[in-house]
Amino acid sequence: MKLHELIKENFQKENTYSVSEKMRVDEAFGIFDKLGIPSTKNEEWKYTNLKNIAEKEFKIESSLKNISDFYSKLSIQNITSNRLVFVNGIYSETLSNIIEKDKTILIDNIFSARKNHTEIYNNHFSKYAKIEGLALNAMNAALLNDGAFVFVPKGKVVEHPILIINITDSVESNILSQPRNLIVVEKSANVKLIEAYYSTGKNASFTNVVSEIYADENACVEHYKIQQQVGECYQNNFTQFFQEANTTINQVTLTLDGTVVRNNLHFYMNGENCNTLLYGLYLATENNHIDNHTRVDHAKPNCYSNELYKGILKDKSTAVFNGKIMVHLDAQKTNAYQRNQNILLSDEATINTKPQLEIFADDVKCSHGATVGQLEEEPMFYLRSRGIPENEARKMLLNAFADAIAEEIKIPELVSILEQEINNKL
Amino acid sequence: MTEEVNIIDKVTNQDYQYGFSTDIEMDTAPKGLSEDTVRFISAKKKEPQWMLDWRLKAYHHWLKMEEPTWQNFSYPKINYQDIIFYAAPKVKKTLNSLDEVDPELLKTFDKLGISLLEQKRLTGVAVDAVFDSVSIATTFKAQLKEKGVIFCAISEAVHEHPELVKKYLGSVVPHTDNYFAALNAAVFSDGSFVYIPKGVRCPMELSTYFRINAENTGQFERTMIIADEGSYVSYLEGCTAPMRDENQLHAAVVELVSETNAEIKYSTVQNWYPGDKEGKGGIYNFVTKRGICEGANSKISWTQVETGSAITWKYPSCILKGENSTGEFFSVAVTNNYQQADTGTKMIHIGKNSKSRIVSKGISAGKSHNSYRGLVRVNKKASGSRNHTQCDSMLIGDRSGAHTFPYIEINNKTAQVEHEASTSKIGEDQLFYCKQRGIGMEEAISLIVNGFCKEVLNQLPMEFAVEAQKLLAVSLEGSVG
Repeated sequence: MKLHELIKENFQKENTYSVSEKMRVDEAFGIFDKLGIPSTKNEEWKYTNLKNIAEKEFKIESSLKNISDFYSKLSIQNITSNRLVFVNGIYSETLSNIIEKDKTILIDNIFSARKNHTEIYNNHFSKYAKIEGLALNAMNAALLNDGAFVFVPKGKVVEHPILIINITDSVESNILSQPRNLIVVEKSANVKLIEAYYSTGKNASFTNVVSEIYADENACVEHYKIQQQVGECYQNNFTQFFQEANTTINQVTLTLDGTVVRNNLHFYMNGENCNTLLYGLYLATENNHIDNHTRVDHAKPNCYSNELYKGILKDKSTAVFNGKIMVHLDAQKTNAYQRNQNILLSDEATINTKPQLEIFADDVKCSHGATVGQLEEEPMFYLRSRGIPENEARKMLLNAFADAIAEEIKIPELVSILEQEINNKL
Repeated sequence: MTEEVNIIDKVTNQDYQYGFSTDIEMDTAPKGLSEDTVRFISAKKKEPQWMLDWRLKAYHHWLKMEEPTWQNFSYPKINYQDIIFYAAPKVKKTLNSLDEVDPELLKTFDKLGISLLEQKRLTGVAVDAVFDSVSIATTFKAQLKEKGVIFCAISEAVHEHPELVKKYLGSVVPHTDNYFAALNAAVFSDGSFVYIPKGVRCPMELSTYFRINAENTGQFERTMIIADEGSYVSYLEGCTAPMRDENQLHAAVVELVSETNAEIKYSTVQNWYPGDKEGKGGIYNFVTKRGICEGANSKISWTQVETGSAITWKYPSCILKGENSTGEFFSVAVTNNYQQADTGTKMIHIGKNSKSRIVSKGISAGKSHNSYRGLVRVNKKASGSRNHTQCDSMLIGDRSGAHTFPYIEINNKTAQVEHEASTSKIGEDQLFYCKQRGIGMEEAISLIVNGFCKEVLNQLPMEFAVEAQKLLAVSLEGSVG
């Protein structure tokens, strides 16, 4: 059964929703059913072909698998943190661990929040991530698995990072999972979040995640995403930040593996004086296809955004970068910068980059740049002439290239995971 | 074959039954597009069979195509059945003196510094034959002939140099290329044909004035320039059009072929009627321009100054097939009031060590929108290729928009590609500086804009550069205050 039919069949079976919820999911399903899985004719999907996914037979898991062995080997769990663990989209209570002592800070799963924190859930759920025209978002909204729910009340600071781990276990069959995260950060609150993606098993998996992150006035959010799914793993990751005035967001995306990974990272600045920093590093090897779509909406005046994405491509890998800065009509005094730099290490690697600016206000400072090249000869010569073997020298230079991103990661354990991965792969 | 010819003859003759018998009516094709229209145009030009076949093939392909929708602007749907696809020169209402010409138009001419004789010619005062869709008699023909340069109308070339036309027609822009290219291939009226023989450096700048004149006539020009081994040519294309109420479609095709060691320089100044201040009327300029650097060390350079047209939609492109070939694109696009522009270039690197450079300056004022859309593709075998792209936008007024959509597709690790873009407005300090020294607001803006565009304007041949500078000032008039 193809993906579209699978969703259809399972959607018809599903009947656990309340009346108001039912309307929402019906609408979402309607949109998905009409649009179908996007094809490369869709300008947004020009460089990323989902045909493989659309025609594969996936299974939606209903019971929790025990993967504690695999989990215990993950180096990320060394980070002192609050942990929410999901296996094939299903919440694992045994592996999750909340160390936060302040009980007004809610760290939970979505299904529990729907029952126990209905008001917050109703106020924010599905309010920020658009589904119109976005088939995969609609698919997630129509038939979501569980996901993380975080609520940080006014003025609170969460001491340790909140780690959201998603693992796909495709040992027995092809797996489709659709996690859904909702993070609400109230006024002047402060939180660090890490989203991590892993996989085990030989069969294929498709993870279709949607995250909504709401930052109220003066809030501060640090958000990290690390993607390390190995094997035949497809992922579509949509994250929508919605920022009120004076908020600061620091976002870092590290894509280190994956058959096809598509990240859609959207920011909407709904108030003045927002500060948004977004960094990305993608390491594509073998047949990886890594696609980063970012969009920063400057809807109000006096906001600042700075984007830097760096990529290293090896073997037969492909990477796509599509960055869009949208300066709305009244967003005067906007400062928006965007840069994308790529290094190709092999003749069979391909990079498609498309940095875009759409500007409707006149008093703005916007710039973007993109470069594609190989390692420069001069620094290489410098190192070689000092007796450093070529391999070592290359590693050194690539590490230096990646360092601009690593510098922005404020959790040391994450930096060492990144460094290790670079050294292993290159 | 003979049977086919018979049928075609029959059909062509049939056409005349529908009232094309009088001389005057035969000057224009009836409104609308059908196979008959294509045959009519072909018959009017007394084209050989192969040409008609080529047109029909394009027409049938066009029927199967859909109008593109990916562009970053909108326009009312074009009714292709409401357009006259062919208008030959005919006796038209001539004016006795310049006094009868729209004074607004004359003012513009004055500002551009166009000579009185030229003004008369442009406004249709009876001085010289005014042509529409059919190339103006070309000058200096004898001198060119001496060098072996062919510079004539395409319709003439079809008869006189069929082997060249057959070889190159549609070789760069095939009829299947896009919707408007297919339309052009089916109904193109005329255009220029240039052939520079081996080793010849064309002794003069070749230039043609295109004009749109007869009401409701879509213009479908087709230009071909072929530079054989080791030759050089510089071609100028300049356009003006009088006031007009209804939107007019202009879907031209330009094909350039540059052989080994040859160089083609193609400059355009486009100043067609942009519509009035409310955005009514104006020309749709949907053009397919493409050049191929066929041989090693060949070069193609596009320079364009786009100030006119309600909508400008074109991407002069280079296919860099030869080793060490070079492609260049210099562009200034100015939009004001309700004008829209979606323009840029494509650089396709196929040959080793091919180089390309893109400099694009966009200026948007009033309520206009200006987009840069460009593609740089480096194919697998194009090792050592190099591209540098710079695109800057300037915004004047807070209701205009500037957009950049660069596509960069790289399949080779030795390629070095850089893209940079910036958007800004005219600095208040710059304006202050000028005003403080007694330079008026409008003059100051024109000064700053000219400085902003200098890099591109410098690429234009001398006469054009002067005209282009004035044009920028005229286009931006009234955009401030």
